[in-house]
Amino acid sequence: MSTARDMNTEGSGVGITTLLRKGNMSYVRMSKLLGELVGSGLLVQLTNEKISKYTISPKGLQFLAAYYQFEDFATSFGLRL
Amino acid sequence: MTDTAIIEVMLQFIGVFVSLSIAYVSYRGVRQTESSSLLRLATAFAFLGFGFLVEGVVGLNSILATSPALATVVIAGLLLQTTGYFFLAFSHAVDVMLAKRLGPALLVLPVVTLSATQLANVLGILSFYFVLYGVVETVYSYARTRKPDTLVIAIGLSLLGVGTFVQWLSLLYIQVDVLSLLQIIIKEVGLLILFIPVLGFARKGVGVKLDGPI
Repeated sequence: MSTARDMNTEGSGVGITTLLRKGNMSYVRMSKLLGELVGSGLLVQLTNEKISKYTISPKGLQFLAAYYQFEDFATSFGLRL
Repeated sequence: MTDTAIIEVMLQFIGVFVSLSIAYVSYRGVRQTESSSLLRLATAFAFLGFGFLVEGVVGLNSILATSPALATVVIAGLLLQTTGYFFLAFSHAVDVMLAKRLGPALLVLPVVTLSATQLANVLGILSFYFVLYGVVETVYSYARTRKPDTLVIAIGLSLLGVGTFVQWLSLLYIQVDVLSLLQIIIKEVGLLILFIPVLGFARKGVGVKLDGPI
């Protein structure tokens, strides 16, 4: 999700190849994960000439902000989220 | 009821507020991120909060002080607190297992021996051991992350540890009144330090209104 936010400099979304490289996971696993994230409204799928690109949604940005806050909270207690 | 007893009761209720606040923020984290670490943290502080509540209610109700049920209620309060400390230690133990590393806290295991015969004393020792485990793991975490907040929490947990140790001493030396007050003051200072991350939440505001898990 953070890759879809940070790498989307031109606003046209991020391709699955970039996400695979950054996430270091298999295509099958990434496809399943992307499906779940798009389904829950955290990512938006932009389809253009058979190429799918992904960008983070406002809800995804909200989730990331909350996630980082709670990660900070857990780290304060010496724990990992 | 003496002035010391009133102060003790007040401090117990501050402990209830602080512990349940930390539990509440952790629970919100569980709702939003479904994190098991935060769930264990919430459970730990919920138990601690209810432990303080039971002790506070016992102190408040001076009639109970002469009741035969006192021992049972005090043990129940101690048991709740020990369970809270257990979950705190358990969170770190799970964290250690997930990271597949040996916790340096294991080194302190032989230092503590269960020599006491009374249940209250056993609970006191167990609480002390659990907090000690949490302290060592938090310090280890600070060494890894170099995050000042983590060091502050380690100091807070250390004070909680000292407080539980003094509490254990106060159970052994009942005639020394000051120990009972001292343990609660040390624990309160420790808890107030643990409250700092919660204050951070209040200051920044969560800023995100997500209804439950995504």
